[in-house]
Amino acid sequence: MEQIGSEYLDDKLATVKEIDFLQYRSGDLPTWCPGCGYFGIVDAFYKACRELELKHEDIVAVSGIGCSGRTPIFINSYGFHTLHGRSIPVASGLKLAREDLNVFAVAGDGDALGIGGGHLPHVARKNINITFLLFDNSIYGLTKGQSSSTTPHEQKTNSHPAGNPDKPLNPIKLALSYDASFVARGYAGDPQGLKEIIKAGTLHKGFSFIQILTPCVTFDKEYRTWKNLKENVYDLNLSVKEKNMETAMRAAENEPFGIGIFFQDTNRPHYQDILRRLNAAD
Amino acid sequence: MKDINLVVEICGSAGEGTISAGEILSRFMSGQGFEIMSFDSYPAEIRGFGKCVAHTRISTNPIYSPGKYADVLISLNDRHSISQLSVLKSDGILIYDNQPPKAHKEDQSVVGWATPGMISYGIPLNMLANKAAGNARGMNMVALGALAALFHVDKDAFTGSIRNRYAKKKQIVVDSNVNSFLQGYEWTKTNVNKTDLISFDSVSPQVQGEKLITNGNQLVARAALDAKLSFYAGYPITPATKIMEILSKELPKHGGTLLQTEDEIAAIGAVIGAGFGGKRAMTATSGPGFALMTEFTGLSMMAEVPAVIINSQRGGPSTGIPTKTEQSDFNAALFSGTGDCPRVVLAPTDTSSCYQAMVTALYIAEKYQTLVVLLLDFFLSNSIKNIDVPDKPSQEQIYANIAPNKEQLKDYKRYKDTKNGISPRAIPGTPGGMFFSTGLEHSEYGRPDYTDANHLKMTKKRYRKFESILCEAPKLEISAMDSESVDIGVVSWGSSAGAAHEAVMIARKEGMNAASFSSMMVSPFPEDELIAFTDRCKQILIPELNFSGQFAGFAAGIIKRPVERLNFITGRPMAAEDILQKMREM
Repeated sequence: MEQIGSEYLDDKLATVKEIDFLQYRSGDLPTWCPGCGYFGIVDAFYKACRELELKHEDIVAVSGIGCSGRTPIFINSYGFHTLHGRSIPVASGLKLAREDLNVFAVAGDGDALGIGGGHLPHVARKNINITFLLFDNSIYGLTKGQSSSTTPHEQKTNSHPAGNPDKPLNPIKLALSYDASFVARGYAGDPQGLKEIIKAGTLHKGFSFIQILTPCVTFDKEYRTWKNLKENVYDLNLSVKEKNMETAMRAAENEPFGIGIFFQDTNRPHYQDILRRLNAAD
Repeated sequence: MKDINLVVEICGSAGEGTISAGEILSRFMSGQGFEIMSFDSYPAEIRGFGKCVAHTRISTNPIYSPGKYADVLISLNDRHSISQLSVLKSDGILIYDNQPPKAHKEDQSVVGWATPGMISYGIPLNMLANKAAGNARGMNMVALGALAALFHVDKDAFTGSIRNRYAKKKQIVVDSNVNSFLQGYEWTKTNVNKTDLISFDSVSPQVQGEKLITNGNQLVARAALDAKLSFYAGYPITPATKIMEILSKELPKHGGTLLQTEDEIAAIGAVIGAGFGGKRAMTATSGPGFALMTEFTGLSMMAEVPAVIINSQRGGPSTGIPTKTEQSDFNAALFSGTGDCPRVVLAPTDTSSCYQAMVTALYIAEKYQTLVVLLLDFFLSNSIKNIDVPDKPSQEQIYANIAPNKEQLKDYKRYKDTKNGISPRAIPGTPGGMFFSTGLEHSEYGRPDYTDANHLKMTKKRYRKFESILCEAPKLEISAMDSESVDIGVVSWGSSAGAAHEAVMIARKEGMNAASFSSMMVSPFPEDELIAFTDRCKQILIPELNFSGQFAGFAAGIIKRPVERLNFITGRPMAAEDILQKMREM
């Protein structure tokens, strides 16, 4: 296999082969900037797969376009890098056709909430059994620093040098109002905690929405930086009892840096179970 | 034995039983062994009193087109029927209500507008219906009774057919319909002095095996199920919605899944997801939905994931004319999307070939790992024909994926550059077959690779598949040529082909030296065969239902010769009569 950097990578891989969660890492050298939060996210992902003992061939990572879109390349599994904003429909079709697979959909903030924002309500209300990872760095990174749907109001970006005129979306609030059955927020700087959230989301039978706070170290020096995140992020510590809609909504509104599981409905059947029940009754 | 070739139109207002009378007539005639084709027109609006026309052609011989003009017009509503007189032949027969409940003013009665050569039979439709059932609802059956009496149609067989139609309804519904029919029949027998020559006496068509009365939408759904479709995603749009509705009932029974999505982008996205998972998947839409799906057509081709899109064309562009037929998405089907993006396009030429086209579409998509567009149109989707029960697909057509073997999995190249361009495809769940697919240009391993040499190599590989796909093309339809060369060659595609073949047959009977050519596969196009055909034609005529001559321009580019065009955007299906007239002028 001839690829740029493969020798370097082979050396690296040889030294870390014993660390067994790295079996979920592919032989490709990530293309993300040094210091990018996404390294922490895939680390948590590998560990979650390891602890859940998922078979490589039963994992499919489906992504959209953007820096997050490259994620499946770096996972030792089946992967599908689709179109901008469209990881959700592709992952939905795949899961409905192949219930036996573990299907992960990956998207960035522009991907999931901008161009692909129309798909989110429907996958949530249908409760299709996929795990959705929103890599939220509140900026368009791959196109070099334009405002996205979660860029703070008045933040200066390359598309809005005088300040972003738009209000940012609140992804957790959206997911809750769309009736997602599992809503959580993780943090790229806390791979241990994020791993637990991804595990819980993967085990959840239904649509799992996981927003992941992560910095763009290259194009956002102002707001979502490692420094700001480290200072502000804290554990929500909502107890299981409190994971009801009202508490979750309040937390979504008031705790933009709180991480943990906001809401989970374990009793709600997922889409295929609903279809099976309705078709059997028909 | 006498031949019958008759076009009957029933014209009324929505809710007067116009369409169901047409359906009963065509089902009955099919049962009697006649060939039938029917095509109804009705307003796009659900409510209201819009004009409905049930158009039925009945023949002892094969039918290729619905026929432009009617031999018989039955008026259930004079206000609507006056404008329909333009479709009645100059020596046609008009059946109308001569005792309407409110006397028509002179200019509001359809008979007042009939031209001198027409034969008019006044039947008290409304009065007889009231006599039979106490209300006017049975007017349509009275009219059918009158028709049966006039043309010497078997009364008992016809009433049996009506009973069958309403078998699931209450007895009173069955009785009032049959009684209405009989009232019309008896009254006409007693009171009408027949002056026309149409008669079903001593016409006894051969009943040839089991016939299926069906339309294009029903057939593609049936074919998809027979070809082991396992996933359908779609969004409602006229005239394709019925395909989703049929499959929503049937697919779960066959172990498949149907997903109604939030839009057409999600529909094709889900289809590609299911295709990636190794399952047969498709969606159906019309022009506006197809426009939205365009972004995914490129991904299907580039990532080499099977996908089938049915586009049942309607009047365009934009929202266009939803309930009219047109063939104006030829360019969109072949050329929409960005980059060098080849795709397969199949356009069935008549109702029965819709089945074969659907089976072929799913087969080619799976085997060649590519996008297949199946072009129907409003006419093919909705016109009803009685056809021979189609042959079920073969095992080879049903299981077409070429999977990698153990040796190939040792160093698995998902996009291996092979002789025929087909790279063995692992299905998720296969150990050792893990790969990464992307819409980015990629290496044989599927990894992004933007070097110029790689881009050329992979583009060539993707195009190479299409050389083999041409061999999978269903048989061409070329009429026999009596001589080395013909004066006029008619080249057609899609639903216009039937009318073209019919026109050429009539022309030859009239002594013209003509031939016809059509191909169900329009991309890749059998260019050599077209050139071989047109080389033998002095003049070439290309009729199609669009304004700009989309196919004509495409074909002219292949044969590098000027072609004569014939274009209509009337919203009606192509008529053999119009092609024939053009041929006479050439």
